[in-house]
Amino acid sequence: MSKISSAITEIHRIEDLQKRDQWLNRIHPLVKLACTCFYIVCLVSFNPYDILGVLSMGLYPLILFMTGDLSITDCLRRVRIVLPLVCLIGIFNPIFDRAPMLLFGFAVRAGFVSMLTLIMKGVFAVLASYILIASTSIENICYALSILHLPGILITETLLIYRYVGLLLAETERITQAYSLRAPGQKGVHFKVWGSLAGQMLLRSMDRANDVFASMSLRGYSSDFRYRKSGIRWRAFDLLYLAVWCCAFLFLRNFPLFEIVGSLFV
Amino acid sequence: MRQIEIRNLTFAYMKGADILKDISLSVSPGESVGLVGANGAGKSTLLKILVGLNPGFAGSVTVGGIPVEKGTLPKIRQKIGYVFQDSDSQLFMTTVGEDVAFGPRNYGLSESEVRARTDRALAETGITHIKDRPIMRLSGGEKKLASIATILSMEPEILLLDEPSIALDPKNRRNIINILNRLQATKIIASHDLDMIMDTCSRTVLMGDGKIIADGPTDKILRDKALLEENSLELPLRLQ
Ligand SMILES: Nc1ncnc2c1ncn2[C@@H]1O[C@H](COP(=O)(O)OP(=O)(O)OP(=O)(O)O)[C@@H](O)[C@H]1O
Ligand SMILES: [Mg+2]
Repeated sequence: MSKISSAITEIHRIEDLQKRDQWLNRIHPLVKLACTCFYIVCLVSFNPYDILGVLSMGLYPLILFMTGDLSITDCLRRVRIVLPLVCLIGIFNPIFDRAPMLLFGFAVRAGFVSMLTLIMKGVFAVLASYILIASTSIENICYALSILHLPGILITETLLIYRYVGLLLAETERITQAYSLRAPGQKGVHFKVWGSLAGQMLLRSMDRANDVFASMSLRGYSSDFRYRKSGIRWRAFDLLYLAVWCCAFLFLRNFPLFEIVGSLFV
Repeated sequence: MRQIEIRNLTFAYMKGADILKDISLSVSPGESVGLVGANGAGKSTLLKILVGLNPGFAGSVTVGGIPVEKGTLPKIRQKIGYVFQDSDSQLFMTTVGEDVAFGPRNYGLSESEVRARTDRALAETGITHIKDRPIMRLSGGEKKLASIATILSMEPEILLLDEPSIALDPKNRRNIINILNRLQATKIIASHDLDMIMDTCSRTVLMGDGKIIADGPTDKILRDKALLEENSLELPLRLQ
C-alpha cells in the first residue's frame, strides 16, 4: 500500500474508533474537551524537577487506555511522527543545567531530570489529545466549541481544515495513481514532473475545497454554527466524570501521590 | 408566475471567452425540463448560475421572483436542491447518514424530523444499508445515490440535477427515474442519458455552444434525428 493510501486508511481507522459504541464515546463532547484541556493545563504547570508528580499524571491516560478499550500500540504508531519532536524539546537541558540534584538517592544533573519531565509532559499531553480524538468525532468537537460560543468562523475553520487534509490526501492519491498507471515500472515520480504534479495537487484540492464549501452553503450552512448533533444529551454521568477527573488532577497537582502511597507501606 | 426566469444571460469564466451567450429561458412551477447538449455546451455552467455558484453574469436571473445576487443567496438556496455532476464535490461529512442529515439540520428542524427525513431519503434511494459507511469508501454509484439522498432530505421546491443517472446500474437508474417522477418539485435535469430525459421530462432544452438551440416538447426534440446529430447527440436508444 502506498504511503498516501495508508494515511487515508489511518484517517478512516480513527473515524471508526470515533464511531464505536463505547462508554468513552458516549460522554458529552464538551466534558471530554474540558477534561482534556484541564488535564493539559495541570500537567504543564508542574515544577520541572517534580518527576514523580508528573509521572503520577500518567494515571489519566493509563486508566482511559485500559478502560476505554483503546490500543496503546496503535496510538504510539499513529503519533510516532510527533513523539520525536516532543522529545527534542528538552534535549539540551542536561547540557545547560548542570547543577547536581538527588533522584531516588542518586546524584544526577538537574538538567537531566527536567529533560525527563519535559518529555513526559509532552508524551502525556499527546496521549490525552489522542484519547479525545479517538473517542470524539470532529463534528462533536465543533459542537462542543459552539456551546462555548466560540466565533462561528473559528469553528468553520476547524471543520474545513479537517476536511481539507482529507481532500488533499485523496486528491494526491488519485494523481499519483493516475501517474503510476501511465508510467509503469517507474519507481516514484520522475523529478521533471514534480513541479506540475505538486501544482496540480494544490489546485485540484483547492478547487475541491471550494466545491465542498459550495455544497455546504447550498445546504444551508452558514458560519453561525447551528450544527446540532443527534443523540447528544447531558447525563448525570457526564458531570460525575468531569468532577472526578478534575478533583483527581487537582489532587495529583497538589499532593505527591507516590510518596503518600509509599509512606503507607513503610 | 414563472418559477425560474432567465433573461439575456451572458457569462464567461474568463474575460473574452463567453460560455453562455444571451440565454433566455423560463420554467413554470412543477415543470420538468431536460437540459441536453454536447460536452462543454454549458449545461453545468447554467445550473450553477441558478444557485449563485457562478457570480458575475450579465442579464437577469430570478428564482421564485427573487433575483439571484449575493444578498439573496441564502433565501434562494433554501428553495433549491442541487446535485453536483461530480459526487465528490457534493459529499463532505464523515458518513452517509450524517451527510444526508446535514441539510435538514442546518435549516433548524427538530431532531426527530431530521431523523425521519434522513431515514426516508435513505430508504427512497435504497441506501439504508450504507447509512453508517464512511463517504470515502463508497463506490461511484453509491456516491451518486447518496448525493441524491442529501438533496431529497431537504425537500426543496426546485431540483437541479446534473447527470443524476451517471454511474448507476439499471435498477438504481430506474429507481431514480421513479423518484423524480413522483416528486412534485420543479426540476431541471442536465444529462446525456436521453432515455431518462424522455422518461422524466415533458419539455427539453437543447444547448449548443452556450446558446439555446431548441426548446420544446421532449417528444418532438428527442425524435428530431437531424437536430440531435448536428449537436453531437444521437436518438434515444429506444428510438434507434
Ligand atoms: N471553472 C471553470 N473555469 C473555466 N472554464 C470552465 C470552468 N468550468 C467549465 N468551463 C468551461 O465552460 C464550458 C462549459 O462547461 P460546462 O461544464 O458547463 O459544460 P457541460 O455542458 O456541463 O458539459 P458536460 O456534458 O461535459 O458536463 C466548457 O468549455 C468548459 O471548458
Ligand atoms: Mg456538465
